[in-house]
Amino acid sequence: MANRTYEVMYIVDPETAIDKITKLNTAVGKLIEKEGGSIVRMEDIGRRPLAYPIQKKNEGHYVLFEIEGSGQEIAELERRMRVNDMIIRYMTVRVDEDRKKAEKMKAKRENRVSRRASFRKTEEAPAETAGAES
Amino acid sequence: MAEKEIESPMDAIAVEVEEFGEKMPRRYPRRRPRQVVPDYIDWKDVDYLRQFIPERGKIMPRRISGITAKDQRRLATAIKRARAMALLPFVSDN
Repeated sequence: MANRTYEVMYIVDPETAIDKITKLNTAVGKLIEKEGGSIVRMEDIGRRPLAYPIQKKNEGHYVLFEIEGSGQEIAELERRMRVNDMIIRYMTVRVDEDRKKAEKMKAKRENRVSRRASFRKTEEAPAETAGAES
Repeated sequence: MAEKEIESPMDAIAVEVEEFGEKMPRRYPRRRPRQVVPDYIDWKDVDYLRQFIPERGKIMPRRISGITAKDQRRLATAIKRARAMALLPFVSDN
């Protein structure tokens, strides 16, 4: 199965102790590895004001994971997050497809730019060798 | 790798409107800056997304933001995702 990349972000209740949050994060990491996924990146963003109150709270502790896997670990992780009352909000976004698209667009643009540059070069100064400009 | 700006005929529109003057139904001047939108719009990049969110918290219409339809769609998705995670407000009254 093709590998997929996901971004999982969750907001932890800011009233929980810091060591509890770190424990939760390692638990999440372990769960993912147990289910066959791998962690690309883990970022503890920390406390941040919420744009609107959630469960009467105005602040949240944000944590971001970037996970590579088949998608099964996501299902399990979401199930766990749903019942965990320390986590007040979570979201998973699949990013590999959009990133691939972005890369394609970038490649296309760069290709166009370099082609245009080489075209101009040959027209203006045919004697000179066209070097890669972009 | 510098981003190359592409010439567009949008600059000519203002002149056209002027010529027709009062005959035409009043057309409001459209602010259409050609924006360079990154290939990958990150929904976590709040500072970037805020550019497209006026006071009220609504998503800026394409008419004003002046970006392409494709980019606008991607942008809207990113903003909605950010909203769901309380990074951006759904409404803000000020």
